[in-house]
Amino acid sequence: MNVKDNLFEVIKTNASQKELNWIETKATSSLQSLQTAFVATTRFVSKTSVNTFEKLKGINFNTWNLDKLVRSYFLVCLDVADEVSYTKTLNTLFETAENNEAVALISSLALLEHPENWLLRATDAVRSNIGIVFDAIAFENPYPQEFFSELAWNQLVLKCIFNDKSIHKIQGLDDRANKELAISVSNLAHERWAAGRTIPPQAWRLVTNFLDETIFEDIKKVFDSEDYKNQLAAALVCKNSGFLPAKNELKKHIELEQKVKDLSWSFLEV
Amino acid sequence: MCQKESEIKQNPSHFEGTDEELEMSKTIQADFMDYVKGMKFFDPHIHMTSRTTDDYTALVDAGVVAIIEPAFWLGQPRTGLSSFKDYYSSLVGWERFRSSQFGIKHYCTIGLNSREANNEALAEEVMEILPLFLYKEGVVGVGEIGFDDQTAAEEKYYRQQLELSKEAGLPVQVHTPHRDKKKGTELSMSIALEHGIDPGMVIIDHNNEETVESVLDKGFWAAFTIYPFTKMGNERMVELVKKYGSQRIMINSAADWGISDPLAVPKTAALMKIRGISDEAIKMVCYQNAIDAFAQSGQINVADFETPQEIDQSLKFNGNTVLRGGQIPRVDKNSIFIS
Repeated sequence: MNVKDNLFEVIKTNASQKELNWIETKATSSLQSLQTAFVATTRFVSKTSVNTFEKLKGINFNTWNLDKLVRSYFLVCLDVADEVSYTKTLNTLFETAENNEAVALISSLALLEHPENWLLRATDAVRSNIGIVFDAIAFENPYPQEFFSELAWNQLVLKCIFNDKSIHKIQGLDDRANKELAISVSNLAHERWAAGRTIPPQAWRLVTNFLDETIFEDIKKVFDSEDYKNQLAAALVCKNSGFLPAKNELKKHIELEQKVKDLSWSFLEV
Repeated sequence: MCQKESEIKQNPSHFEGTDEELEMSKTIQADFMDYVKGMKFFDPHIHMTSRTTDDYTALVDAGVVAIIEPAFWLGQPRTGLSSFKDYYSSLVGWERFRSSQFGIKHYCTIGLNSREANNEALAEEVMEILPLFLYKEGVVGVGEIGFDDQTAAEEKYYRQQLELSKEAGLPVQVHTPHRDKKKGTELSMSIALEHGIDPGMVIIDHNNEETVESVLDKGFWAAFTIYPFTKMGNERMVELVKKYGSQRIMINSAADWGISDPLAVPKTAALMKIRGISDEAIKMVCYQNAIDAFAQSGQINVADFETPQEIDQSLKFNGNTVLRGGQIPRVDKNSIFIS
């Protein structure tokens, strides 16, 4: 089955007959009509939670509402044969999007034809200060992992940390960890410490494989923190890192060493 | 028409209440909120894009739970379609989000305002993109549209937008002109009727003592803008409610980039309370009528602002979570320390 059929199967089990009739009529109509249907979806389709085990390209539709799913379906129904009108239609939708429409668009990026063409829309979503729009690109979205440059990726992760958002919901968080990001996390921590603030303990997982003399100094400082979760974070970094001084450091903290033996980062995920 | 403070001091005789009321009126500026404690307000006309976060905080504190932001003129004419598009987008995007951060439900009306209807080349382009916005979630009407200078171009686009409203099943929010108001109001109503629009779907805005009777007689909603100097004062408003009752009458602040007061609705409610108007009538004029009129769009779900919302942790703005129910992070204005 292709993406379109897959989405429709999920819609069928979640929509009422009346909603289905409307969706089916619109799905086979002209580009212009589909564009309007995308906008008008919430006037004809309810916002009930989607109930499904179906996953597509790493997207878990169980966390979606029906209106979002239907909008996503309309997007994959757009005729791609005429690339100029296809691109124009999507651009218009992006440029005139209301917040929930923007979320549907961003969440569907990986399902579109030639997803790489929409990179600027994706990085614009990272720049957004509208919570739900930012979250749509950051969380449970396969797009950044696959298409973001290292620079764009690092911006996404850093902005999450900066805004106290849950980085573990970013797909590919550990796979795309990199040295530059580890340095940025360290720098951010220094800025925060200077201001008498902290970074979320979980953020330290990003330095695990990039420990060097400099960043290791930070970890020692985190061990000395009065906050237990920060101490655990330091211990987890040392446990998972191949950096020898870190291994030795952990041995100095016997209780923490014991504690993190059966512990993973999920313990610190908030 | 405009009341200068000096005139009020010199001529207190305009006040025709009891001594007790007179005494109360002197202290109202300081503690008007005491009179409206527990009341909820709906301001169906306020231009928040022109206002600050301080205003949002003040609105929450005064009990304003939902607002409508009509699309309007930005003080200077736009020169291209993109500016219109971005403005409309901001009404359903950024401003809606900004408002949600203060726990205020933000709706809007979308339309081509009368002033800019006079740039016909641009107006044509704007008309093309309007349908794209009119069907959006939370768009509760076509507005504010109508007459300003009462030119042929204004009439042309007013008529076209009335047709759009019919097609979309949306109420119409009609701006009436500052100059030659009575004639402009009559013209706006007769054109709407000519297009077969149910007057119950039309909110005639910026009424005054001269226009209200005809508007109500014809079955339209009569909105009053409490705006210093150029529109209604709230003492006059109280008298109007005493005279015409609370049916199909609503008030708004139309607060914008001019000298205006975003708290016009709660302040007027307080004044009505002081002058002996019933709580029920105050509720109609400051809350319920606006909801009834604009909910005909099918886009207002009162549960969104009448019941406390779950705190959505995904709604964060620059690292701050702004919670509902008056839990907005406060800045102590008197503190020299900023942290």
